[in-house]
Amino acid sequence: MTNQDEHKEGIGGMINPRRYGVERVAYLLMRLSGLGLLAYFIGHIYETSTILKGQVGWNEFLELTQTNAGHAILAIVIAMCVFHTVNGIRVMLGHGGIGVGKPARPDYPYTPASQNIRHKIGIYSAIILAAIAMMYGLTVMFGE
Amino acid sequence: MRESIIMKIHYGTALAAVALVAVHILMRLTQGFAESLQYDSVITNYKFLPYAGMLEIILILLSIHGFNGLRVILLELKQGRAYEKAVSYGCIVAIIALIVYGSRTIIMVNTGMM
Repeated sequence: MTNQDEHKEGIGGMINPRRYGVERVAYLLMRLSGLGLLAYFIGHIYETSTILKGQVGWNEFLELTQTNAGHAILAIVIAMCVFHTVNGIRVMLGHGGIGVGKPARPDYPYTPASQNIRHKIGIYSAIILAAIAMMYGLTVMFGE
Repeated sequence: MRESIIMKIHYGTALAAVALVAVHILMRLTQGFAESLQYDSVITNYKFLPYAGMLEIILILLSIHGFNGLRVILLELKQGRAYEKAVSYGCIVAIIALIVYGSRTIIMVNTGMM
């Protein structure tokens, strides 16, 4: 097997979550949740347009979404939405220089000041809040 | 447009959308999730002008934020003058198309043209 330069791995290298810690996992989840939410948003715009077909058209489409599978997909959407929001606020704060530490001379072992415990807590909080929101969404949808 | 300005728009649309989508979801929960999706309830929501206006603003904010996010992801994957132009203009066309399609629903239901 040839020893491939990690910078030439393409999409496979970009989405590999096993290296570089939880920050890379957050990077990957941010993009996946973003793409998922965009797909849901487009679907939601189409879904709501069925109201123009009148009550029959609306109810027909509603029957498709008000199933166990539909509720499960919506629960995943809720989780993606919460993660994307909380992690997005963390990223915004980081870009604004908040919580990234002070500039210092790069000494061995070159630990990045920006990848500190505050941002790690932010990432784990986003994951936990997403899970809680998903559970709450499932309770609301299946509780009725 | 400079990328720094585009990112400010990206973050601005995100923060505004978070607040408005929260109101949109709370409307579903205060009415009861299943009841709020009934035909008459949805029509009443659309006919309430402030709420219809809020839906229109959410549509614009999320279209811009969503397709700019897609643009950023696609530009991370591959670079090149022609590719970047194609992605950027493609996303602008998609934003306009989605806003027009969504606005059509809001305007037609709000004004009773259905």
